Amino acid sequence: MNAEISQKIKRLVLTGMLFATAIVLSVVEDLIQLPLVAPGVKLGLANIVVMYTLFFLGGRTALLVSVLKSYFVFITRGLVASILSLCGGLLSIVIMLLLLKIFKDRVSYLVLSISGSICHNLGQLIVVSLIYSGLIWIVHLPILLISGVLAGTATATLLKVFLPAFKKLDLK
Amino acid sequence: MFLLADLCHSPRVVGLDVERLYTMKLFNKTDIIFVLAIVVASLVFWGAYRLFFSETPAKAEIYHDSNLVMTVDLDENIDKEFSIPQEPQVVFHLFSDGSIRFEKSDCRDKICVRSGKLDMVGQSAACLPNKIVLKIVREHKPQKDDIDIIIGN
Repeated sequence: MNAEISQKIKRLVLTGMLFATAIVLSVVEDLIQLPLVAPGVKLGLANIVVMYTLFFLGGRTALLVSVLKSYFVFITRGLVASILSLCGGLLSIVIMLLLLKIFKDRVSYLVLSISGSICHNLGQLIVVSLIYSGLIWIVHLPILLISGVLAGTATATLLKVFLPAFKKLDLK
Repeated sequence: MFLLADLCHSPRVVGLDVERLYTMKLFNKTDIIFVLAIVVASLVFWGAYRLFFSETPAKAEIYHDSNLVMTVDLDENIDKEFSIPQEPQVVFHLFSDGSIRFEKSDCRDKICVRSGKLDMVGQSAACLPNKIVLKIVREHKPQKDDIDIIIGN
């Protein structure tokens, strides 16, 4: 029983810390502008956190962090931004879970990260094109894909650094 | 507080368990194909865009609060700066080479101004704090084979 509670506490604390990181990144990426991309679409910095939550804490927690983060964006930046954030996060999580389910452990972290990043921005693009009807979204795809690859690569590399530290946590 | 902990306790959602985390590789050789495919796809999209959209006659539409408030013909070789009456502090600049841009704005981030010149159908820029969207759309100029008049009941 003690071990179980200690596990739960570990998970809770880790979730809280990841959520806090997501908020900080969300604020930071609000400050960085990307001139050529569709209006409102942001760098997927916070997507890194959502990915790590998915890997270390499971799908349900990742969804929780994503929703909570969107709520935070709703409070600070407004309705449109929060819907963007929510859709980006949700699509990213769904695709990553799908990949994990289909490929089990034959899929690599790199592919997961890249897919997650791309889908995060893709989700935002889809929402923006629904709101601003007539937006020709094909314009933004090239940048979206390339930046997704870069972001995904960076994330996967960072993950390599974090994995030993995570092992020490001894989460079950 | 433990209720919240209960909510977060399931690693076994969709079969993701911790042991598998360590067996998953960071990078496979076949990943290179994946990345290349994406790069190729992005080039294809970019090429398709330029192919289909660069030569069509274009006009700029300016929306304020989702209402179309001004249309500007881009092909008329005029160079001028102007604003819409709803937001006089936001200045647009139309160039004689057929491009248009946000020139000045009172918004905090100036994303609109930094979007640069727009000249092709499909491009757009927006100043969200001022609720302005600038879109480049197709111009429907009368073509030779278009019907001029239809007479009938």
